[in-house]
Amino acid sequence: MSLAEFGIVFLRALMVFGLLLVATIVNIWAERKILADMQARIGPNRAGPFGILQTVADGLKLFFKESITPRKVELGMYMLAPFLAVIPAFLIFMMVPFGRPFTIGGNEVALVGADLNIGLLFVLAMSSMAVYAVVLAGWSSGSKYPLLGGVRATAQAISYEAAMGLAMVAVVVYSATQGDGGTLSLVEIVERQNGTWAGFIPRWNLFPQVAAFVIFLLAIIAETNRAPFDLVEAEQELVGGFHTEYSGMRFAMFFLAEYINIFSMSAIAATLFLGGWSGPTFEDSVPAFISAILPTVWFLLKTYAIVFIFFWLRATLPRLRYDQLMTLGWKGLIPAAVVWLIVSTISMGFRQFGAPWG
Amino acid sequence: MSWEVDYLAIAPELIIIGSLFLVLGLDLTLPRLKKYWTATAAVAGSALALIPLAFLAVEGETISMFDGSYVVDEFALVLKGLFLVTAYIVFLMSVNYIESERYYQGEYYLLLLASVLGSLVLASARDLIVLFIGIELVTGPLYLLAGWRKGDVKSNEASLKYFILGVLSTAILLYGMSVLYGLTGEITFSGLAEATAAMPNSPALTMAVLFLIVGFGFKISAVPFHFWAPDTYEGAPTPITAYLSVNSKAAGFVAMLLVMYLALPGVSDVWAPALWALAALSMTIGNLSALRQTNIVRLLAYSSIAQAGFMLVPFAAAAVAGADLEEAFSATVIYLVIYAVMNLGAFGVVIAGARTTKSGEISDWAGLSNVDSRAAVLVAVFFFSLAGIPPLAGWFAKFVMFRSVMIAGGAATVVLAVVAAVNAVIALYYYAKVVKSVWLDDATREFPGEFDEPPAGSLRLALAISVGLTVVVGFFPALATFVADASRVIAAGG
Amino acid sequence: MTFSDWIAEPVNWVFAAIGLAVLFSGFRVVTSKNVVHAALYLVGALAGTAGLFLLMSAEFVAWVLVLVYIGAVIVLFLFGIMITRAPTGLDESLSSDQTAMPALLSAAVFVVMTWASIDAFGTELLATVGEATSTQVIGESLLGRFVIPFEVVSFVLLAALIGGITIARRDLTPVEEEERMSV
Repeated sequence: MSLAEFGIVFLRALMVFGLLLVATIVNIWAERKILADMQARIGPNRAGPFGILQTVADGLKLFFKESITPRKVELGMYMLAPFLAVIPAFLIFMMVPFGRPFTIGGNEVALVGADLNIGLLFVLAMSSMAVYAVVLAGWSSGSKYPLLGGVRATAQAISYEAAMGLAMVAVVVYSATQGDGGTLSLVEIVERQNGTWAGFIPRWNLFPQVAAFVIFLLAIIAETNRAPFDLVEAEQELVGGFHTEYSGMRFAMFFLAEYINIFSMSAIAATLFLGGWSGPTFEDSVPAFISAILPTVWFLLKTYAIVFIFFWLRATLPRLRYDQLMTLGWKGLIPAAVVWLIVSTISMGFRQFGAPWG
Repeated sequence: MSWEVDYLAIAPELIIIGSLFLVLGLDLTLPRLKKYWTATAAVAGSALALIPLAFLAVEGETISMFDGSYVVDEFALVLKGLFLVTAYIVFLMSVNYIESERYYQGEYYLLLLASVLGSLVLASARDLIVLFIGIELVTGPLYLLAGWRKGDVKSNEASLKYFILGVLSTAILLYGMSVLYGLTGEITFSGLAEATAAMPNSPALTMAVLFLIVGFGFKISAVPFHFWAPDTYEGAPTPITAYLSVNSKAAGFVAMLLVMYLALPGVSDVWAPALWALAALSMTIGNLSALRQTNIVRLLAYSSIAQAGFMLVPFAAAAVAGADLEEAFSATVIYLVIYAVMNLGAFGVVIAGARTTKSGEISDWAGLSNVDSRAAVLVAVFFFSLAGIPPLAGWFAKFVMFRSVMIAGGAATVVLAVVAAVNAVIALYYYAKVVKSVWLDDATREFPGEFDEPPAGSLRLALAISVGLTVVVGFFPALATFVADASRVIAAGG
Repeated sequence: MTFSDWIAEPVNWVFAAIGLAVLFSGFRVVTSKNVVHAALYLVGALAGTAGLFLLMSAEFVAWVLVLVYIGAVIVLFLFGIMITRAPTGLDESLSSDQTAMPALLSAAVFVVMTWASIDAFGTELLATVGEATSTQVIGESLLGRFVIPFEVVSFVLLAALIGGITIARRDLTPVEEEERMSV
């Protein structure tokens, strides 16, 4: 590996890191503004124009606050848990292609953290790793409410991960019919969604896989422990949930992880169902640098459309009861995902190989 | 390469799968009082699966699928027939036992059907992966079924002991298999046979083979890997005990013989002495322990350990003597088939008799002949058959065993034959003790259970089939020799 | 090949490091006095194993190991521990007085296995293992050459699932059963 190649790899990782931090700052501000709007309030409006620096101010405040360590904690795990929350969230985004590859100084730069040929499997593996942070934070705090929050989170994550995985499988099977053989690489899956049907309908997986999209969306909302599935931190029942005993920067890490997760998962959803960075680039009519940047713009727009759904649901729906949560997961989403997988696979089989009786 | 599936060849498996799903559906939809239909579905499934088996047997072709890893030949058919018939009998024995004690019915039959499916797969397995999955599917559901009497501490102990030791043995077995694969790069038996014959004997190869023997030794509960057996047999529901001592033991035997005979004939100098020792130890320690038992199920448990030793004798003897394994192989399979029928009968009669005695202690069975003469007759038939008294089927099994030892010849073989002969006499003593208690001793107490009404029809049918086969095979051993012919096929077809 | 040749290869450093980490984690799984710590050391051992698979270019196996074992099985272990007793300190009931014999036996088995493995595979190099197996090839062989064990495994899982629930669920009391019957 030459120095230039290594530099590019390093640069790509740095790019992803920066993108996520900026996106988080924007996300938190956007959530507060959107919620405020929906509730006919003003929301943050002091720091910077439209209060956009509010998140930065909050971050600084948390950074300078004392990180209290309660006496009964299991120190090693207690310190480790916040990092375990952030790392998988970052790594998930590494798999997402966020723009069209371009050439710089003879080296092709793919706008993706890393292109693994088993990218989707890696995403699933990492999203299941995120549970460790919650369960360890809850356990190591040495206190009842965090423990209950941690246990709830584990059950919830396991329940919804199955539905999420099955929805992903449906997409993988579908996208195998769109190109040469099956693929688990997100880069490849995006490329297969490039183009249009009948000249104007984009070839997004959303249209043929609409049920999988709905299941996936519900599952990622539950996976990220957001309303209406935020029983993990239900204030009335559990004080603050698994991070009750965390304060200062350690608490900020959990907060950061939550918002990175929202962004990463939305990006995965946009990649799988909304065609990722694919979209018109108008290469003939606009300058080259604009057509190089446009794919990234499309990608961000699509991702934010899904992030918006997160905030919208939070403003609209009340929190579920715990048994309703489990019923929805096990008796609703998982059977629905299985049935959808079977139905869509059979119909694709017919299209690909013809009906067995025909 | 395309992987064609011959659906007729796997029809028995498909029928069992079908009835498994039928049981699942029925259990889900039927009201509690109608759950007995799940039993009907299981019984019907195991009987129906015999039909395609008959077609395949008439056709008589050897069907090999998936690169020779799944083979349906006459040997596989005979074993599948054995597994299905014994499963059928176990289902019949279960019907009333499970229903009257209010255990979960639908799940019971579902798990048992899954185990039967595993044994069918195992009979056709000709590579390590299929074999391993098959043996896991046979034993996996049984860990749970052994604990089916949830309210009983003994049943919990049975389940837990069986599970922990079973899982340990599985790990050892799998380790042996993976070392074998690492050494040869082959998983099919034919490939392994070629590769191991060509390679010099190395410590790793020896270790792999010994690990395999330890793993299989647990499954067939051969001494010194038998510790789980008596406790598990005693605690498990009796039909499950019957199944454990017959189907799952037979499955372990089949797996072991297939691997040793088809995959590792080239390293017989490693496994032959090990099997020899297993056989001698199992017979001796199994029988000596059985002598001291006062509980009839524990007695049958130790007797089945000893019987496993007898079953190993022909194979171990021939391998040690370096004689032709073919004869020994068929002798072991004949012994296995006959043992299966008579041992099932013995457990069936224990279930039938326990309705009257309400006890597993042999002393409580004293004088049973006065109140329930039919059960007493059956006790005599099955226990004398297990002891090997002519003209019941057991004598032919023992005869075949000793004959194959004679054919093998050699000093070590003679020693094994002497051990076997001594043990046959010891076994006769404790089997006869049960019969004496039932027929000659006076009842020491009032029998608490009911004995006026006959046992349920399904149990009677199960007993009728076992007793019929035990007597008929005893009188016409020629019937059993077709088993021998079938198991010779495997030598030719490989 | 001498040891200095072996250690000159950078891939072998990684191998040695991961191997030692796995060894240590495995040892601590057994000796740890706290159930949660034991479970976490098991995570370490499994992660190290996944790393070894990665070294041998078996990407698919490595990530499936992470997904299934670390992501699901151990999480369920932890879940089970948390809802049953959630110990936060040392758990003395985890230790046993009878450690000498098992330790001796384990050591003997270890020595024998190491000796046999070195004897058989001591000259093989990681580099000779070959290139990456593509996920597509694995998928095709699972549904082709190995379709029978692949399908049969699903019955193992089905049986385990249904049997496990049946064993673990609370039985109805006679009174409740009467109520259920009368409906």
